[in-house]
Amino acid sequence: MQKDITISIFEVVGSPLCVASSDGQKVYERLAKVIKEGANVILSFYNVSTLTSAFLNAAIGQLYGEFSEEQIRSSLKVKDIQPDDLALLKRVVETAKQYFKDPQRFDQAVQDTLGDEDSGL
Amino acid sequence: MKVTLPEIRHDYSGFNGLVRLAAETKDCFLEDIDVDMAATTWFDADMCAAFGAILHRLGEGLNTVNLINLRPGVEKILSKNGFLSHYGRERIPDRWGTTIPYQRFDVKDDRYFADYIENELIHRSEMPAMSAGLLKKFRESIFEIFSNAVLHSRTEQGIFSCGQFFPVRHRLDFSVADLGIGMRQNIQDNIGLNLSPEDAIDWATQGRNTTKRGRVPGGLGLKLLSEFIDRNGGCIQIVSDAGYWRRENKRTITAPLSQPFPGTVVTVEINTADTNSYKLASEISGTDIF
Repeated sequence: MQKDITISIFEVVGSPLCVASSDGQKVYERLAKVIKEGANVILSFYNVSTLTSAFLNAAIGQLYGEFSEEQIRSSLKVKDIQPDDLALLKRVVETAKQYFKDPQRFDQAVQDTLGDEDSGL
Repeated sequence: MKVTLPEIRHDYSGFNGLVRLAAETKDCFLEDIDVDMAATTWFDADMCAAFGAILHRLGEGLNTVNLINLRPGVEKILSKNGFLSHYGRERIPDRWGTTIPYQRFDVKDDRYFADYIENELIHRSEMPAMSAGLLKKFRESIFEIFSNAVLHSRTEQGIFSCGQFFPVRHRLDFSVADLGIGMRQNIQDNIGLNLSPEDAIDWATQGRNTTKRGRVPGGLGLKLLSEFIDRNGGCIQIVSDAGYWRRENKRTITAPLSQPFPGTVVTVEINTADTNSYKLASEISGTDIF
């Protein structure tokens, strides 16, 4: 049976303030290594007091650029996370899926903005 | 050369006063610049972030900046928050503890910035009593602003911050300024979209939009900040290039400034008497995240 590997964000970052993209990058590198190995990983938010979207984009959002949704869903779990942080993580994940799924995303955003301008909004 | 500074309030007119100073001095090199503050009858302390950024840029141009004819009230507040220590004055004790010191950070100083926020804001005994939920959202918002400057400004000249409590009015003002590329140019370079400076700010605050390219996604920071301010009943102002953007009471106004700011400023005004719980209306399952 495959062993679950637990990664403590607090241990990786060394602080309860998980706010910097560069700290998120450290978490990402560990997560990516485990997922590449085909192992399961539990990401613990124990003792984390503050999160930003910048941190979560780097730590978790960029996984969607390297792994499939199915792969991430089957190998990554979170624990010890507060409900409002979970809500932030959900938004980061949804944004990341869009970011990597739709290569035309920028063009669409541009078109939408120009459309607004054309209609005088 | 001598330039005069009008009163600097935490609003559109205050930013216009500062960008005029930036424009008048932008080509100075190896000059003595006297900033005459005789007409500066009021200076909102958090505006030191934007003011300090402009003066720091002058220093990078090897100019010598002198602040002259300061009114006693203005001198007092700018001494208490440590701003005038950068310009040859003594720092004086902040007896009531209502200032959040003026500070300059490098982009790699995110840990140092985090310590500054914890020590000078969150754990201060003078801090207005805020609910735990509000304090958490407030703290997250401040870090989102700083992260935004780090990720997007491409500045090498630093990030500047300053704040002020208003205990009677239940308000807390906090500003972060950078001397970076600005939103308009950033959007033009990365997206190829040529917007007016104020439309560029508006574009950047929409949740779906980001100038981020490459492996790390982005685009949520300013949207989250706006959502929090809407709920809190506070106000957010963004100045970038010659654009001014303000959101208050869930309404956004934009306007051009008379001159460009050499970077971006984000200021928030927090309602510290906010009693919203910031608890989620519906629970999200931890198994349904990815």
